[in-house]
Amino acid sequence: MINSSLEAVYFNGQSSTSKRVSLSIDSNVRELRLHSEGEIPVVWELDNLIVDRYGNILEIRNNQLDGALIRVEDARSSKEIYQLLKRKGRVDLHTRLLDLGLLKIVGVAFLLLGLFAGAYFYLLPPLAERAATLLPESVDNEMGDLFESEVLSHDKTDPKKSALLQEFVSKIEFNNSKPLKVVVVQSNEVNAFALPNGTVVVFSEIIDNMKSYEELAALLAHEVSHVNNRHSMKMICRNLAGYLTVSLLFSDVNGVVTVIAENAQLLHTLSYSRAKEQEADEQGIGILFQNNINPHGAVTLFEQLERESNVNIPKIISSHPLTKDRKKHMLKIISERKFTVVHHGNLKRLFNQLKSH
Amino acid sequence: MIQNDIKQSYRLEFHGKGSEYFAIMIVNWLLTVFTFGLYYPWARAKQLRYIYGQTSLNQERFHFSGTGKEMFRGFIMVVLFYIAVLSVYFAVMVAFESPLWAILFIYLAIFSVIPFAIHGSLKYRLSRTTYRGIRFGYRGDRMELTKRFFKDLLLTVVTLGIYGAWLQVNVRRYTHENMRYGEVEFSNDADGFDYFVMNLKGYLLSIITLGIYIFWWQRNMFEFYINHMKLSKGDQKMDWKSTATGGGFFKLQIVNLLIVAFTFGFGIAWVEMRNQKFICDNIIMDGDIDLEALTQTEQDYKDATGEDAADFLDIDVM
Repeated sequence: MINSSLEAVYFNGQSSTSKRVSLSIDSNVRELRLHSEGEIPVVWELDNLIVDRYGNILEIRNNQLDGALIRVEDARSSKEIYQLLKRKGRVDLHTRLLDLGLLKIVGVAFLLLGLFAGAYFYLLPPLAERAATLLPESVDNEMGDLFESEVLSHDKTDPKKSALLQEFVSKIEFNNSKPLKVVVVQSNEVNAFALPNGTVVVFSEIIDNMKSYEELAALLAHEVSHVNNRHSMKMICRNLAGYLTVSLLFSDVNGVVTVIAENAQLLHTLSYSRAKEQEADEQGIGILFQNNINPHGAVTLFEQLERESNVNIPKIISSHPLTKDRKKHMLKIISERKFTVVHHGNLKRLFNQLKSH
Repeated sequence: MIQNDIKQSYRLEFHGKGSEYFAIMIVNWLLTVFTFGLYYPWARAKQLRYIYGQTSLNQERFHFSGTGKEMFRGFIMVVLFYIAVLSVYFAVMVAFESPLWAILFIYLAIFSVIPFAIHGSLKYRLSRTTYRGIRFGYRGDRMELTKRFFKDLLLTVVTLGIYGAWLQVNVRRYTHENMRYGEVEFSNDADGFDYFVMNLKGYLLSIITLGIYIFWWQRNMFEFYINHMKLSKGDQKMDWKSTATGGGFFKLQIVNLLIVAFTFGFGIAWVEMRNQKFICDNIIMDGDIDLEALTQTEQDYKDATGEDAADFLDIDVM
């Protein structure tokens, strides 16, 4: 029971005129009474009260009487009433947490942020990739088809070279999980990438810079390995899962619109993780062994790319990190394995035709 | 009781503290994470409530009585609408095998939501704002606003964007003229041409001065907004005037930038408080409307769909 000597300011929600009143709270009957001289006391039920605290000032409102307001300005009384209402469950969780003080709140937040960061970096990627493998291959194909037209619409394709390259591809066993289609794009950019539907796009400049058919075989083997392992889908799932998690954590609802737009370009600029590149490198070189093609083609391909990177920074370098390390890794694999090399006259012929056009 | 021509004094103040607002943001963040984002509307209600509650006129605080529950309903509506729009977007993309129609559709969807969002947001936000126990209100007509908006939008497209200045001013005038606080009526006497000239000048001078003029351009925009705001109650009037300076805007934003940069973005709470304080410190009001002699006139309005749509589109009506 808080007695009636408590001073307060009252707005009745009908007029903007304020009135001085005195308050009394009977916690047994859960009522708050407003007394003003010569009038019948106004009764507010404790269950309807909403409070806001501004330093020593307490504002009390009634959710049944929109607009009406009682303000207590005396520090001690404010605190007393606030504590009483808190005990009565009229203070929500948010405000209770705020009452812990900034230091504790920030502490809890940091702890949580650390946990999330751990999960984000170590738990999320494998889970997302797992999710990708559960998706049917047809999703890869549809996605690839959709973006193939999108990506290639900007570029000038070379049908003659594409046909030659297609024939080149047909002479090699790639262990491919789906039919392969190769497209040569006329460009002086050094680049090549694989779409998840089995389309491999090779830019003419990269072929022009090649010295041997082994290099071309190595490049194709590498790109096809990305397709075989569904790397695109896995990376998309990783990126999306990452984005969704971050936007959930920071509740960036507005940002969702932006992401849809960004994703339209996702496949074009997709860069694989280091682990994915290494996987494709290893399997790519495996394809060379299997076809009795000289695996050093992969090494000289890297050397070409390295030289090229001194001139300008092509996409293939920036998306294939640490070329030197990868070259070293390849040399190690080659040195550890026995292999036979057969001369492929038809591949060489096709390669020369590709270069001469 | 005749009390015309009794000059009143008004003082707008902002009391919010960065540390308090930061605590609110952190708690919001915690609760939002634990509820997988569902707490978002409640979090927004908390932030709005703090900002309104820390704003006072003549030492009496404003109050935002909107609740998370109300905004959650709107939030669900907006999310459903958004899903519907996206579904159509992908359907169109697949059907026409080209993104052109799909993108056109998205733009159309966004533009048709804008007047709806402005109307709904004003109606909700003002109805849930009280001062001295008296509600604000918005009496505009949704159809009318939509018609005007699309007429102006068409003219903007036809004039390659030039009419955009008139569009903004016309929407502002229409909405302000339909705002109420008790018996007090708002109005706005801005002119589209003035706004166009101001922006053209701002744009050109900003280029010439390598961007330095931007702060003075902002000053002019703020002044344009504030100085055209008029309030009246019968014969009684209240005029608003900006006291902001280009130097003031410069200092505000440079310090804001430094705060954000050196706190890795965590200082955004302090930045928002600084912005609010800057606004309140740079508005003076002059007139004879007696704020203590008003009565409740505006209706209650609890549908927050437009408010949430506006938030989604990042439109701020207030």
